[in-house]
Amino acid sequence: MKSYLIIIPAYNEEGDIASVIGDVKDSNPGADILVVNDGSTDSTSGIARKTGVMVLDIPFNIGYGGAVQTGFRFAAERRYDFVITVDGDAQHDPYSAQNLIDAMEREQADVVIGSRFIEGTYRMGIMRKIGVRLFSMIARLYTGTNFTDPTSGFQLLNKRVFSHLSKDDNYPLDYPDVNIIMALHKMRVKVVEAPVTMKEKPRGKSMHAGLRPVIYIVRMFLAIIMVLVRKED
Amino acid sequence: MGTFLFITILELARKRRFREELSIVWLLTGLGLILSSFADLIIDPLAFKLGLSYPPALVFMITFFLFVLVILYFSVAVSDLKSRNKELSQKIALMEYKLGTLYKEEE
Repeated sequence: MKSYLIIIPAYNEEGDIASVIGDVKDSNPGADILVVNDGSTDSTSGIARKTGVMVLDIPFNIGYGGAVQTGFRFAAERRYDFVITVDGDAQHDPYSAQNLIDAMEREQADVVIGSRFIEGTYRMGIMRKIGVRLFSMIARLYTGTNFTDPTSGFQLLNKRVFSHLSKDDNYPLDYPDVNIIMALHKMRVKVVEAPVTMKEKPRGKSMHAGLRPVIYIVRMFLAIIMVLVRKED
Repeated sequence: MGTFLFITILELARKRRFREELSIVWLLTGLGLILSSFADLIIDPLAFKLGLSYPPALVFMITFFLFVLVILYFSVAVSDLKSRNKELSQKIALMEYKLGTLYKEEE
């Protein structure tokens, strides 16, 4: 039987983490669940532990990508077959994970990205919308495949891919988005999209709020250039 | 100013509050500043040879270049430290988990 690890990176998510874990447990009963507490200063870790799932505590905040990579390392060490990444802020509907699994089997893909735009609508700020459109276009131009939601963190990856990304600087510390799609394409990894449901962020501040989208776009452009100029591993 | 910087760096390196390899960059900067005070001997002839009619401009140019090098050097050092920091924090998290599991098994 194939083994799945669901990785939930969480930073100061004490308000949502219990419900996220509850939903993930109910929707994916056969999978193991790992919460990667990215140096939270609130009681995220304690709340997660009480639910009985596995919890990794990073001693200080290293960023979203660093937390996800810690989960990849854990999965690689324990020889899981697949990992699914679900954000700890209750934005991703874990019941959609089955769509990712079905798409991987159907398309014989290595990575499946959950897109909120294939089916249904999702409200977001104008800057975020511009960013998503822009990066969709870049991803399409580079890979020849249409990615409607390249910034989605709701993903399914097979062992070959997450084992590679778990090493050294193969996974970026802050924003693993379209740059990762491009880097994987360079490695001849098959990346596809599948429809998922995402909720509007119920509380707290999104990492794409305020001036952050502008900084995000600039940094992502730099990351894209780095993917283009770096030699293939 | 150059002499002050030079002595301060030497003193910090001697007291081991400054790693030798890092202090080299600053010592070179201090040395550059000391040399710039011998304007008659070095700076003025060099500036005129390079076609600069105002020799202090050469001092500013060299100082600017040295400080850019120093900043670049430290940016590389910070990036390197950040990578190592990430590696360490990830390893600590994974090892703490293993340790916790071992303790539980013992109980």
